[in-house]
Amino acid sequence: MKKNQVKIWVVCGISCVAAVLLSVWYAVTFNDSRLVAPMDFGSYSFNTKDLPMILSISLTCVYALSLFVQLFISIGKSKRNIAKTNMTRKVNPKLGFLGLLGFLGLAGFWTYSAMGAVFPFVFFLFFGFFGFFYEGKMSGIFMDERFRENAARAQLNTYKITFNITLIALVILCQGRLFGSLEYTLIATIIVLSLTLALGIFLPEYLLYRYDHDDKTEEGGE
Amino acid sequence: MAEFACRLKKYRQLKDLTQEQLAAQVGVRRETIMRLEKALYNPSLKLAIDISRAVEAPIEEIFIFD
Repeated sequence: MKKNQVKIWVVCGISCVAAVLLSVWYAVTFNDSRLVAPMDFGSYSFNTKDLPMILSISLTCVYALSLFVQLFISIGKSKRNIAKTNMTRKVNPKLGFLGLLGFLGLAGFWTYSAMGAVFPFVFFLFFGFFGFFYEGKMSGIFMDERFRENAARAQLNTYKITFNITLIALVILCQGRLFGSLEYTLIATIIVLSLTLALGIFLPEYLLYRYDHDDKTEEGGE
Repeated sequence: MAEFACRLKKYRQLKDLTQEQLAAQVGVRRETIMRLEKALYNPSLKLAIDISRAVEAPIEEIFIFD
């Protein structure tokens, strides 16, 4: 996507958020917090004062939907470009810092004790974003036969490792109650599966980088 | 990986080509040529033939398998 297009999308996003905030302020100030405070939609009847809220939410939904469509179009274009030029996609290695979002998974321990919710453990999956560090280092390079061979080898080794971890973890966890509780077994399963999937995202990039920058050879040419 | 000796460097220098130039001719990265010269990468048949044509030397003279 071109920089100008990105700017337009960002401006539209900011406008949508501003519209929602304004309509929330309007509803709270002039409309008895209708559509802001929880209400019974079964007995909802239209009021002209609801219009700003309905319009801003509709606008935001349209924006989110078109952003989603644009994302798919961009991914398609990027794939076609890669096939045409034989170059790896351009990725900023700094995106690897998104992997820190994986620590959000630790919030699961708090949500489980506070309200019994276990879904935040899935956030451990975000550790996989650390792979962007290595993908970024290998971005924009020509994919020759050695590169493709290494990529296939990295992918295969990743499948082997993650499959073995999943198998071992499931065999252990399926024995029954962990620490005497079935809930702990569920939590352990979610954590192990999330971390394994994160490893499955991270490892191909890391291994590809390692194979490509083989330690046995010294860089140097003529 | 199969053990082999590679005389690519000798033939490349005879043709007065740099690694970069040879890589561009045969459609690979310079790093691949570098690893080929150190016999650390076993090339595909197509790449071996392309290299042989580029340096104008018989394929069995460049890559020597026991």
